[in-house]
Amino acid sequence: MTDAPPILALDAVSRRFGPVQVLFDVDFSLRAGEVHALIGENGAGKSTTMKILAGYLEASEGRILLDGQPIRFASSEGAEDAGIVMIHQEFNLAEQLTVEQNVFLGREKRKGLFLDHRAMQAETRVLLDRLQCKVAPKARVSDISVPDKQMVEIAKALSRDARVLIMDEPTAVLTNREAEVLFAQIERLRAAGVAILYTSHKLDEVARIADRITVLRDGHVVLSQPADGLSEDAMAAAMVGREMEDLYPAKRQRVPGTPVLEVENLTVPGVVQEASFTLAKGEILGFAGLVGAGRTELMEGIVGLRQTHGSVRVNGQPLRPGSVDAAKRAGLVYLTEDRKERGLLLNKSLKDNLTLLALDKFTHGLIDRKGEEAALDNAIKEFDIRTPSRDIAAGNLSGGNQQKLLIAKTMLADPDIVIIDEPTRGIDIGTKQQIYDFIHHLAEKGHSVIFISSEMPEVIGLAERVVVMRSGRIAGELTGSDINEQAIVRLAMGLKDTPTEMAEA
Amino acid sequence: MSVAETTGKPAGAAPRRGIDLHVLGPLVALAVLVVIGILLNPNFLSYANITNVLARSAFIGIIAVGMTFVITAGGLDLSVGSMAAFIAGLMILVMNAALPFTGVSVLTILIGVATALVAGLVAGAINGLLVTKAGIEAFIVTLGTMGIYRSLVTWLADGGTLSLDFDLRGLYRPVYYDGILGVAWPIIVFAVVALLAEIAMRHTAFGRHCAAIGSNEQVARYSAVHVDRARTATYVLLGLLVGVATIMYVPRLGSASSSTGVLWELEAIAAVIIGGTMLKGGFGRVWGTVVGVLILSLIGNILNLTDLVSPYLNGAIQGVIIILAVVLQRTKRAAR
Amino acid sequence: MKMKYAFAAAGLALAAAPAMAQETATIGVSIPAATHGWAGGMNFHAQEAVDRLEETYENLDFVLTTASDPSKQVSDIEDMVATRNIDALVVLPFESEPLTGPVARVAENGTWVTVVDRGLAQDGIEDLYVAGDNPGFGRVSGEYFVENMPEGGNIVVLRGIPTTIDNERVEGFQQAIEGAGIEILAMEHGNWNRDDAFTVMQDFLSKYPDIDAVWASDDDMAVGALAAIEQAGRSDEMWVLGGAGMKEMVQRVMEEDEMIPADVTYPPAMIATAIELTALNFVSNAPVSGDFIIGSVLITPENAEDFYYPDSPF
Repeated sequence: MTDAPPILALDAVSRRFGPVQVLFDVDFSLRAGEVHALIGENGAGKSTTMKILAGYLEASEGRILLDGQPIRFASSEGAEDAGIVMIHQEFNLAEQLTVEQNVFLGREKRKGLFLDHRAMQAETRVLLDRLQCKVAPKARVSDISVPDKQMVEIAKALSRDARVLIMDEPTAVLTNREAEVLFAQIERLRAAGVAILYTSHKLDEVARIADRITVLRDGHVVLSQPADGLSEDAMAAAMVGREMEDLYPAKRQRVPGTPVLEVENLTVPGVVQEASFTLAKGEILGFAGLVGAGRTELMEGIVGLRQTHGSVRVNGQPLRPGSVDAAKRAGLVYLTEDRKERGLLLNKSLKDNLTLLALDKFTHGLIDRKGEEAALDNAIKEFDIRTPSRDIAAGNLSGGNQQKLLIAKTMLADPDIVIIDEPTRGIDIGTKQQIYDFIHHLAEKGHSVIFISSEMPEVIGLAERVVVMRSGRIAGELTGSDINEQAIVRLAMGLKDTPTEMAEA
Repeated sequence: MSVAETTGKPAGAAPRRGIDLHVLGPLVALAVLVVIGILLNPNFLSYANITNVLARSAFIGIIAVGMTFVITAGGLDLSVGSMAAFIAGLMILVMNAALPFTGVSVLTILIGVATALVAGLVAGAINGLLVTKAGIEAFIVTLGTMGIYRSLVTWLADGGTLSLDFDLRGLYRPVYYDGILGVAWPIIVFAVVALLAEIAMRHTAFGRHCAAIGSNEQVARYSAVHVDRARTATYVLLGLLVGVATIMYVPRLGSASSSTGVLWELEAIAAVIIGGTMLKGGFGRVWGTVVGVLILSLIGNILNLTDLVSPYLNGAIQGVIIILAVVLQRTKRAAR
Repeated sequence: MKMKYAFAAAGLALAAAPAMAQETATIGVSIPAATHGWAGGMNFHAQEAVDRLEETYENLDFVLTTASDPSKQVSDIEDMVATRNIDALVVLPFESEPLTGPVARVAENGTWVTVVDRGLAQDGIEDLYVAGDNPGFGRVSGEYFVENMPEGGNIVVLRGIPTTIDNERVEGFQQAIEGAGIEILAMEHGNWNRDDAFTVMQDFLSKYPDIDAVWASDDDMAVGALAAIEQAGRSDEMWVLGGAGMKEMVQRVMEEDEMIPADVTYPPAMIATAIELTALNFVSNAPVSGDFIIGSVLITPENAEDFYYPDSPF
């Protein structure tokens, strides 16, 4: 399969943004019927490479070859006309339009002067069925779930009869089951002769579906070879440029401390029923479960972002419900999973973001600007926030650095209890490790941490105790050597016949 | 090196340094207008003319300063013009009613002033609570209250004009026409309001919270900002400032009618936007609003002082300048 | 044909005669909302006339609507025809052009139509036309300037909202002062609004060091202009002629205020005249169709008392 001539290729392509060069003589090719994975840490140049291939950016130097002929795309539309479709990580869907309208956006079918709704709906239905997606073609995109949006994006690409499909981390927002459907679809597309570029931070996925793997590091191609015989460790080593030491910090052996957070029969109407658990001082408590099990909603209820019934006590004192501010004052903070929409003001400066939560610390009548600047200096150093300038907007940071900024912002409030929700989603492996270390140190210093993640290895690697949720309820709790992937999955899926201690109410 | 991987924004984009037209734009426009004014009429820079322009800017200016906070926090208030007319009418009625008891005295005036401030506060709170607690779009809420206040003042005035008692007006008149050290009171009040508001916007948690809410309400909520409270506060502040503006307005002509304050809301909003505040919220600056108000006043003043353009076209000239001022800022920002 | 104001008074007296037993007639009255002083006065007089006539004649019903823009007024009239089955329509058109078609349709049904103040764009639709004399208003004002500025001089002019009414007045004024050596330094629109007039007058005062008189052309605008002149401390340099007959202004004329030596009538009560005459058509045999032009009269300290109505809001 690797002998077929490339459909689309980069030949010694470089790219600069102003004085900064982000790609150096990159060679890259996509062949019909081949899945080519492009991997690298955040900032390695993956997005730039994909955008050049899909016509969103131009190369500063080098050639782009389509069927062996040099070509310059005037725009992404030009590339689409040539059969090259890119599925963005941030979806390119019109939220207020229906699924069908999105799929056919810009190339609506007509019957005379009017739109042929019936034909478009039927075709959308066929496409979605192929993806085993149950969303109705008439559903409004703003009303459907994130994984469904992903499927709609893919359906849209399929409707364009793509020859080349560029997928930017398609599984980042999908559950395992949904990812399986996607992989099956990728198999079909491959068999149909589509050339696929695939990126992901999940190396096991890459190992599984890729035919060929190219690793970028700091804008250079450091490795490009068939996937066979390339282990995940080898991939990680190539990405990071060093051998991966143990990803997770050593587990601590410790006696459970006094409880600092006691949640009793907490119900978040419609999503969580009667959840009870406790968190001890200096503990890292993992929260596992499938996407949609109600973990995020439970935590949002605890810190006052949602209406709740039931009781929450912090250090023995009842917490006033419905007030994020009261929770913060009690030393309890929540780090959202959605850093772009709920965590950071993307168009505001790093400083404004950093101090927003703990602004009262800098306000003595007027805001102490010098103090804010000092805090930013400190945060950049302490959390290793890599930024070309301290004056840029938060949205211009890379995903990993945004996450670090969000952590820095939260820690500025000096909390005793930190709830961290999916902090490593869409983040490169180097930064992930920094975040693991950070969480570990936090607990070492006597803070208590709740760590929510859908990546089981993370939870297993970090947490001393794991609560598993299923369908809005706490399904069980695992400690010590009972924490393993199989036990978590059984609880998460509702298989009762495992020997686990059920959570005490 | 880790810049912009996910956002696709150019990585090497130079940090803001040197001349920034987004900041300078309104100031340049103002300077150009002043130069044009000087060239066209030697009286332009006279003490009397400068005083006139600044003093007449004061009403819209004080209101626009309040509007800056509302818009920065992602809101809008269309009711301020009608609210000003209503408060002016109410104030005159209350003062005339108090006259038999308190006589032509400062006390009567103070009763009127208190009426204006309380009415502004209440009117602002009504707008704010309807927006935050009832969760109705600000545009709709204030469109509704705009009609309500306009009708109320027409009703209070029986379709005619409410006039302040003549003697009382004589006592109150200096509040508009006099001043200290040759600076008229409306100008002083406008300056003080603008200065305090600029400090509030840039240097207090309230201002920062307004910008955060306008930028992304969810983020603000997740960051322990009392979103409803802050947002309501912007409307209350605006209502209060409408009251202050009315206190300065009534002594000028001593009357209020249904034609008082017509289109003030649009002028105030235009001034805010010319000044560089984002209409969709998230970024606001009070000094820009002050410049915006002055630009709008100067256009009218210069057109009156010269015969270059048919008076029929005054509105067109204003429109062109408003659009131009904003286009200038936006293109510079995009190019940045 | 031009009847005089006095004639209207005779008509009103007639209207007060006892009602004749007749079928009930419904009269619709559609007028612009009270958006400025004159319109406020007009609203007051319309309401008053309706109340009085309803009390006097049991067989007359009235529907009064006020509109804030021409399209609202068109809807009002359509509603009256459709739901109240009116026998007569008294309309003061917001603007001539947009109202011509709808009023013509009403007239085609055989409904009696009285048009007030602003003529329709097409002749012959209405049965009765009651109006002020706009060119005459300008002419009387202009003649007053000529008479009181025998050596000529410099004046500034505040104009109303740009409309036919305003144009007719200004043309009448300009014709009247032609050749008298009076120079119009500048004309700007004060939109029959106190605040706008204040601002425009301030700028006139900055621009022109030598102004002998101001034609404010409207009493609301005169109020604004006076405040500006007073502020500039130039009260002894010039006088102001307004117009329409606002009670405060008439009072100042009566008191021989030097700044307000005179006023020119343009009575908002003309709406009452129109309603009364229309009512007369249904309760008497007196012929009332035709044109009824209410002339503009100069109010001077000598006759001011006749034009002073302290109870009116205007």
